[in-house]
Amino acid sequence: MQPNPLALIAEITHRCPLHCVYCSNPLEMQKAVAELATDEWVRVFREAGQLGVLHLHLTGGEPLARADLTELITGARAAGLYVNLITSGIGLSGPRLAALVDAGLEHIQLSFQDSREASANEIAGTRSHAHKLELTRLIRQCKIAFTVNVVVHRQNLNRLSEIIAMAEELGPDRLEVANVQYYGWALRNRDLLLPTPQQVERSRQTVAIAQERLGGRMRIDYVAPDYYARYPKACMGGWGRRLLLLDPAGQALPCHAAGVIPGMQFDNVRQHSLDWIWRESAAFQRFRGEDWMAEPCRGCERRSEDFGGCRCQAFLLTGDAAATDPVCTLAPTHGVVEAALAEASPAGASSSPQTSPASWIYRPNPA
Amino acid sequence: MSGPDQNSKPRLAPGCRWAEANGAERLLMFPEGALRLQGTGREILERCDGQRSVQQIIEELQAQYKNGEPGRIQQEVNSFLRSLHHKRIVDF
Repeated sequence: MQPNPLALIAEITHRCPLHCVYCSNPLEMQKAVAELATDEWVRVFREAGQLGVLHLHLTGGEPLARADLTELITGARAAGLYVNLITSGIGLSGPRLAALVDAGLEHIQLSFQDSREASANEIAGTRSHAHKLELTRLIRQCKIAFTVNVVVHRQNLNRLSEIIAMAEELGPDRLEVANVQYYGWALRNRDLLLPTPQQVERSRQTVAIAQERLGGRMRIDYVAPDYYARYPKACMGGWGRRLLLLDPAGQALPCHAAGVIPGMQFDNVRQHSLDWIWRESAAFQRFRGEDWMAEPCRGCERRSEDFGGCRCQAFLLTGDAAATDPVCTLAPTHGVVEAALAEASPAGASSSPQTSPASWIYRPNPA
Repeated sequence: MSGPDQNSKPRLAPGCRWAEANGAERLLMFPEGALRLQGTGREILERCDGQRSVQQIIEELQAQYKNGEPGRIQQEVNSFLRSLHHKRIVDF
């Protein structure tokens, strides 16, 4: 029997005041007019609760761009869900934060782009760093869990110690240091973002030392760059196995980037129940289980741990969504990743971390 | 790594709570996931109410599990609380 999903990732809007060069939103974003209405989201949250979903991750775009965010949180809590808000903080004032917490918000994950203002604003394509710093004081006064999230890459990894020191000062319960994952916008900017092997090695050590020193005060979670891994990540905990993502228009996706895979049909919560989508829809069944796997995954001992890696990454890098994720050192197509890494090595890097990159492709806003 | 101060009064950290539906096992929700708890793990965490000290929690567990070796119970409570503190699920 198909187990229930554990978490629902709700991209409630693709509108965003930031234009981050590694945004995980698809290249083709949903327009504001297509967004689900308040009552539609609340119904979906109720269905999620009934389906056994535990956590709701409200994300975007920038979820604060929705004027009804308080009502959405109220609805989600009434459905029994644990409510997490993933935000840039832009659009959050003291009174609005208090209203979200009163409505039942339990965890806020605030993104930072860097420890230095100019670099942070360059990555975000907007001036946002100073406001974020201000906001942390307000968040710490609330009785909710607080995570600072920093995405790391070639341009800021040399400042990882400084970034950790910044987080220490801001005083969250958790710091998430996440290496860029190369889909959508990040893939288009990969040449400027992919770290060098030296940076990756040093950052692992920096994180380990900080974890030891800060144990019990600030938890540090580190998301390793999968291009440098031996085996692929268990993307989404396995296709259609634990997580379900809804885009602003109500399309249900098994993975953030699943829209890139040709021939995928995504069912919509406007036409179907969440339960039906999870159990019956073609998209969620497409790479569920192991039947779709080819060699070397099919006979690999690790197939029940990493599920062959990410289907979207397999398609983006090899043109075949059913191939072994090419970051796997056992994959016949691993050469495409090695070629990208060779470009990023100091000898092959077209731009060093010091160079000011002028050629970012910024994420625009949907109409 | 040292254990928690025996006089401190552990409580659930912000953003951590019990799920509403409870059966033989209880579910403790926290930002990144949930813990399914039964037996002694549940007995310990249910006592992390900001009222009882670590010492009191240990004594209550020792009284409840009379067949257990008291020194070992003390050690297990301390190490369980320490690991949850590091996960930012319990505050002292």
